[in-house]
Amino acid sequence: MSELLANLYLGFGVALEGRNILFCLLGALVGTLVGVLPGIGTVATIAMLLPITFGLPPVGALIMLAGIYYGAQYGGSTTSILVNIPGEATSVVTALDGHQMARQGRAGAALSIAALGSFFAGCVSTVLVAALGGPLTSLALLFGPAEYFSLMALGLIFAVVLAKGSVLKAVAMILTGLLLSMVGSDLETGAGRMTFDLPELADGIGFANIAMGMFGFAEIIRNLELPPESADILKGKVTGLMPTRKDLIDSAAPIARGTLLGSILGILPGGGAVIASFAAYTFEKKISRNPERFGRGAIEGVAAPESANNAAAQTSFIPLLTLGIPPNAVMALMVGAMTIHGIVPGPQVMTKQPGLFWGMIASMWVGNLMLVVINLPLVGVWVTLLRVPYRLLFPSIIVFCCIGIYSINNSPSDVLISAMFGIVGYWFIKHDFEAAPMLLGFVLGPLMEENLRRAMLIARGDATVFFTRPISGVLLSTAIILLIIAAMPKIRRRRDEVFVE
Amino acid sequence: MSEGANPSQSGMTPDSPAGVTNAFRGGIVFAVLALLLVAMTFFISSPLVPRIASILLAVVGVATAVGLIPVRGPQDYYGGLALVVLGTFAIVASSELPGQRSFAFGPGTAPRMFAGVLVLLGVAIAVVGVITAGPMIEKYKLRGPMYVIGGILLFAVTIRPMGLVPSTYAAFILSIMGSREMKWVESVIAAAVMTGFCVLLFVYLLNLPFQLWPQPNAHIVMYNQNAEFFRLIFGPLMKFLFG
Repeated sequence: MSELLANLYLGFGVALEGRNILFCLLGALVGTLVGVLPGIGTVATIAMLLPITFGLPPVGALIMLAGIYYGAQYGGSTTSILVNIPGEATSVVTALDGHQMARQGRAGAALSIAALGSFFAGCVSTVLVAALGGPLTSLALLFGPAEYFSLMALGLIFAVVLAKGSVLKAVAMILTGLLLSMVGSDLETGAGRMTFDLPELADGIGFANIAMGMFGFAEIIRNLELPPESADILKGKVTGLMPTRKDLIDSAAPIARGTLLGSILGILPGGGAVIASFAAYTFEKKISRNPERFGRGAIEGVAAPESANNAAAQTSFIPLLTLGIPPNAVMALMVGAMTIHGIVPGPQVMTKQPGLFWGMIASMWVGNLMLVVINLPLVGVWVTLLRVPYRLLFPSIIVFCCIGIYSINNSPSDVLISAMFGIVGYWFIKHDFEAAPMLLGFVLGPLMEENLRRAMLIARGDATVFFTRPISGVLLSTAIILLIIAAMPKIRRRRDEVFVE
Repeated sequence: MSEGANPSQSGMTPDSPAGVTNAFRGGIVFAVLALLLVAMTFFISSPLVPRIASILLAVVGVATAVGLIPVRGPQDYYGGLALVVLGTFAIVASSELPGQRSFAFGPGTAPRMFAGVLVLLGVAIAVVGVITAGPMIEKYKLRGPMYVIGGILLFAVTIRPMGLVPSTYAAFILSIMGSREMKWVESVIAAAVMTGFCVLLFVYLLNLPFQLWPQPNAHIVMYNQNAEFFRLIFGPLMKFLFG
């Protein structure tokens, strides 16, 4: 316990340095902006801002990028409640009850409960990240290549089971990602694989190219097809930000439950904030004594999902920081960011760079505090931003992405490659393939292959090693059981229902 | 990758729910792709597996085109076939890499392994598309993608020879034309503002090494670069055709 306090002390020392506070604020601001504006996702934004973080010190860069992720969870709720346009996928369910509350003149209460719930969840999950960081890191040191491989396989399967849509297609997307990650030089022999002797492909396909193509360009092309949304921006000022005593009592338990659920789902690979908010909403509706209130302005329907998405956004850093395994697409981008700064994510980060590890965790709490301030009093500013029409927004995003991609390697070919991935991503959307599992497969690919090869070499070519080593055996069997369960028709129908809601 | 999935793009545009012409077009596209793959297998040393796979795919494509296969879920069916193409292509592309030696994986082992599984999954998805009814493929729009991708490509082509300011401005204007609600005056001003913002951010605040205005030898740079792009796009095909 005292060790934890000492670590947190170290962390706050780093997080409260003048420069780092600034980066944290910047991340929180950009995150809120992304959350407010529909049509820009977190993944695309972080990919877009990667080049900007080159010049920053690693701690500052990571603090800022993390701020964007959890900041987006706050911002998303604002527009969901006030305008019924969820700026982020994680706030879709918040719009159901939040906007109804706003129509009944209780926008202030909804906003403040959302912010307070998020803040509470942020505090709890910061402590959770700090507390679980140590033990999980020592667990990771017990892992050999076989265990690592099995863990990653389990992670990918989790991602499939928790994602929406067909299990078969999601697995296929993961394999596509794995295959794409193998383009480039072989890790052991240096032989060019599937490069067609093109120098542009010798180092592999850039991660940022794929991320921006699939999540930036493809989404934009897609959005252009949809009919323009009519924003019925609420007239009149939001008054009475303070929730009543009854609101607070009503939402205390949902906030706690949402935080718990979100924390668990955030740690699980493939979880993340979207699934957490959906699950929390469904759960609240299930256990509510009068579920018919939901969708008509129930405060629980705002409190629980908003706490859950923020908790999940933060706890999803746990597997990344301790095991080096990104549980979702945003964390996959964080891997990219860390690699650019020469940090290999994994258990060694905590021992070798304690300042970075604990500084990042402490900054999450600082960032949450800032976000409450950014969101509540400044709510009017953010709503005004919604008046910027999408027709001006999307070309700005495009040129920003282009410059960003180009500046990574000063290579026009990278821009060309990401344009191709934009087309591929558009095709994926048309055929209902999810891009997120592919990105995850792409990031985990090299790690997985390396560990697979190493494990096979150590076991002298005996493939049963993955089942005979106890930890690895348990992990892999869990993965297989999960896959079978998810493929069973009965469960599949239940799953579809959950996502339709 | 790019060859694997791109060409199938234009082919399967269902205009009407009737499905006959669409099945014809979709089937033909995949038959052509499969024949390309068959041709590629003649340039590799162990062609048996990918050749059988691609010949089967060609047969399936023709069968689809003439209406022998009742496609109930076009989204899944054509998506699955595209994955088969991609997987087979990856097998062909990685066929020259050394495989397993005694108990050590070679560089080619994992790619072929994963590509093989991808082919099987693609088949499974396509079968799902035959036996269960699924949604139609949404109509492909041309305008948005054309202008957006055009804008990006314009940026890629011009950034080096012309510099940051002209290429950002041009890319903005071209991509904004992809929107149906585009207004000229507003766009011209917005493009200027955004260009200014990008120059300020990337060049003055972040100190990234950008050329702002056209280089004196812009046309030579442009020429070399376009040759590079041509090689990047058609290189894989040329490698198979001319060795």
